[in-house]
Amino acid sequence: MANVDSALEVIDLAKDYPGTGHGTGRGIRPISFSLKTGTFFTLLGPSGCGKTTTLRCVAGLEQPDEGMVRLGRDVLFDARHGTNVALNRRNIGMVFQSYAIWPHMTVFENVAFPLRVSRDRTYGAAEVERLVGGALETVNLAGFQGRSPTQLSGGQQQRVALARAIVRSPRLLLLDEPLSNLDAKLRDEMRNELKRLQQQIGVTTIYVTHDQSEALEMSDMIAVINQGQLMQIGSPREIYFRPRDAFVAGFMGSTNLLTGTIAGSVPENGVATVKLTGGQVVKCQFPNPTSSVKPIAISVRPEAIDLRQTNAPPRDGWNRLIGTVVSAGFLGQTNRYNVRVGDLHLQSRTGPETNFTSGESVAVEFSVMNAIGLATADGKVGTDGPAQRIEPGNNSK
Amino acid sequence: MKQVAVVGAAGMRPRRRAQSSWRGSGLTIWLPAGIMTMVLAILVLPPIGVLLQTSLTEVNETGGAGSFTLAHYAALLADPKLYSSAWNSVIFAAMATGVSLFFGGALAWIVERTNAPLRPLAYVTAFVSLGTPYVIYVSAWLFLLGRAGPINDLYRQFSGSSGIIFNVYSMAGMVLVEGFLWSPLVFLLLSAAFRRANADMEEAARMCGASVFRTFWHISLRLAQPAIIGIGLFVFIRNLESFDVPVLIGTPGRVNLLTTDIYLSITQIPPLLGHASAFSVVLIAVVAVLLYFYGRISRNADRYASITGKGYRPRPFDLGRARWLGGAVILLNFVVILALPLLAVLWNSFMPFVRPMNLAGLRLLTMENYLAVLYETSYVQLAVNTIFVSALAATLAIFLTVIAGWLAVRRWPGGATLDQITSIPLVFPGIVLGVAMMEIALWSPLPLYGTLWLISIAFVIRYMPYGMRYAYSGVLQIHRELEEAAGVAGASQLAILRRIVAPLLSPAIIAGWLFIFLLGARELSIAVLLAGPESQTMAVAMFDQWSNGQGAEASALGAAWTVLMTICACSLYFVVRRQSDMVAGS
Ligand SMILES: Nc1ncnc2c1ncn2[C@@H]1O[C@H](COP(=O)(O)OP(=O)(O)OP(=O)(O)O)[C@@H](O)[C@H]1O
Ligand SMILES: [Mg+2]
Repeated sequence: MANVDSALEVIDLAKDYPGTGHGTGRGIRPISFSLKTGTFFTLLGPSGCGKTTTLRCVAGLEQPDEGMVRLGRDVLFDARHGTNVALNRRNIGMVFQSYAIWPHMTVFENVAFPLRVSRDRTYGAAEVERLVGGALETVNLAGFQGRSPTQLSGGQQQRVALARAIVRSPRLLLLDEPLSNLDAKLRDEMRNELKRLQQQIGVTTIYVTHDQSEALEMSDMIAVINQGQLMQIGSPREIYFRPRDAFVAGFMGSTNLLTGTIAGSVPENGVATVKLTGGQVVKCQFPNPTSSVKPIAISVRPEAIDLRQTNAPPRDGWNRLIGTVVSAGFLGQTNRYNVRVGDLHLQSRTGPETNFTSGESVAVEFSVMNAIGLATADGKVGTDGPAQRIEPGNNSK
Repeated sequence: MKQVAVVGAAGMRPRRRAQSSWRGSGLTIWLPAGIMTMVLAILVLPPIGVLLQTSLTEVNETGGAGSFTLAHYAALLADPKLYSSAWNSVIFAAMATGVSLFFGGALAWIVERTNAPLRPLAYVTAFVSLGTPYVIYVSAWLFLLGRAGPINDLYRQFSGSSGIIFNVYSMAGMVLVEGFLWSPLVFLLLSAAFRRANADMEEAARMCGASVFRTFWHISLRLAQPAIIGIGLFVFIRNLESFDVPVLIGTPGRVNLLTTDIYLSITQIPPLLGHASAFSVVLIAVVAVLLYFYGRISRNADRYASITGKGYRPRPFDLGRARWLGGAVILLNFVVILALPLLAVLWNSFMPFVRPMNLAGLRLLTMENYLAVLYETSYVQLAVNTIFVSALAATLAIFLTVIAGWLAVRRWPGGATLDQITSIPLVFPGIVLGVAMMEIALWSPLPLYGTLWLISIAFVIRYMPYGMRYAYSGVLQIHRELEEAAGVAGASQLAILRRIVAPLLSPAIIAGWLFIFLLGARELSIAVLLAGPESQTMAVAMFDQWSNGQGAEASALGAAWTVLMTICACSLYFVVRRQSDMVAGS
């Protein structure tokens, strides 16, 4: 299967839902990406940002207003030329958010359905038997053929949906939050299984989720979407360590965002001095080219912030701010501290060896390499204060 | 204005919002709804057209169609009989609605919201009575309340006079019988409304110290008020259109109603087609106005109900000692609505002639009527006719409405029109549709008049709205993604309809089919005008027998027929139950 050319190219895909008011985040703004054959690609973003819409546009369930979708050499959709290959002739496998297992058919009939309605060719009874058996074996459901889907657990239903999606060797696999209905333990198991399976059959896959750890663990490439707009596209490491802006940094795990302005211009090595809103001066890295006038935000992950005694000797290449511990929490392997520095509230996660109490004065230190200067959308980071923590849990509702 | 800056270059080009979706594009997406619209319009529109045409056309001496005239309307409006009939109709409909709302409503509340014993009996009563032909019902009540019936018989024994205490052939008799006829349906409709009601609000009132009765009066009734008004208006419309009771009781008692006037003007010789048509158009107009209000009210009622829909657990009132009173009401309902009429039918069916119910009569017990029914091949023919007509109509109506309902729910272009077209037949009172179909048959070059086909087509038109309701809510319950998954898997739209939608819809299809089948099997008003000598149906035959004084034989026929239809009604009940279980379970 891997030898089939199933590179996916999506250019300027846009979809607007008419009549839904003129708020933001309706449908999707022009989105482009191109995937090599076999890529595991994840669309990541908060609820309502347009992940499902993007997926449905690629599948053909929704007609985009603009743009082009090409799979291998075949143009599936092109607004300019009015090309629109019918949904049922695209040979795409899809797992729906609700699984969409037909309750009136057995597991076997569910999985065999794509073969029975195929227009490319007719499959003989023996072949259907063989292909369905193979697909069920791939998802570890051999022997479930005769069962009614209503007698299956959530995880098993999900695997039936997956078997149905892959039985006809699709050129593209679309997965819409397939794990969201499962409990935490099963979800962990299925994550690994899904990834293994995708590698085994080598099909280009688009995976939709709003869970950043799921995205980081499984993907070859991630696209972060917000309000219908593509914010950043890149490898998991890139997205996590070099987020392009404050939204992406905040969405990919909790982080501290410090607003300020660049004192001078950004030099060649990407390290510049920033004057924070509160007046403190720190140094940080700029992975992305930034103009010097714009207000910026510095992202520092809680685990990158070290707390030390105020009398400890300063370290080279580290920023140091003086603050007060507001609250301290012991979590076993780590300590969590809330520290106030001027107007800023910072979160720090340190090893178990530190021990500060509320009200104590501390030195807040973070390496210049771990402080990442980011552009902010129209100069605003958040509404409730100069520094903001964004917990992934808050975004995944 | 909208987001031009954000959308950028792409937004500058005028958007091409072609009507298309994943189901297809261009012609293919307009075609299904287009074809269905045409098919349904061909069924639904001609009756109205023909009525209008006839009502506006002069009849000349040769019997052919003459020139345009308003004479029929003028004559109709100038006739004082119109106004007395209209007045009678309104009084009759309003009072009968009151009776059935009172009986059915009280019963529904007791069954759904209290812990009274015997509650399942109320459902059995309602469903069995659904399977009993109106003619049989009405004649049973005529017997019970009539001159030879037990009530007047008792009166004579006690008073020694030879008169009667209650004359059933009167407005009061009509109202009572019609009210009884409708209370099982009111019960079924209202119990759904009470079931959805929010128990918290009733409990809150009880906590404040209100008695059960005050709680019922101030809270339960107020909460259900939109539903009650909606159902009341619906029953009122149906009573206005009612034909069975007016013709069986009103006509002999010289109480004329609009429907019986239409029937008389069409059955007299020569038939006054123009007059009847003008009459029908007037009745349609009245019903259409009422239906418009009904539509608005029931939409509000739905909104009311959906607020309290979720998270509800039934917590019935504890009536305490009054439980047995509640049980007594349920039992009384069973006796009055079901047991007594059926007993009367049985009694009559075993008697050589209509005679009072008493011990002396037992000596006359005879099987003759049943033997006549069983051996007479014409009765077998009647049963076959009725089953054929009802089954054909149910099949066609469900077939059409399943497709129309699917197209409408899934918002195919043009689908909304289908929803409207299928509800047009609601404006036809049965007798009016009968007149219209008769005129169509007289006009048509095909020899339709007097055939079973004509009756079937009329039934399809009449019951289309019911089929649509079943299909529409059935499709709504099918998750959109179940169809999309089939589309992605490569199925065409036809394959999706056949292999996914239809099987998942099968409980609704079966329930709707049985419902229409039962209604068709008992329908009199259409069939009585359209049936020829070779195409008699059960209801028509029983009506004829009753009118000709063969009450005993009609009773035997009715008893046998009721058993058959009860079996069908029970299966309806179980299918509906299974359907709701399945929806809840999945
Ligand atoms: N059929 C529709 N008509 C109108 N608006 C729609 C429609 N479908 C989606 N939207 C809107 O488009 C936006 C994107 O929706 P979409 O379903 O793509 O979100 P999502 O990213 O998949 O969210 P979730 O994580 O909650 O599934 C939302 O604001 C939604 O309200
Ligand atoms: Mg979604």
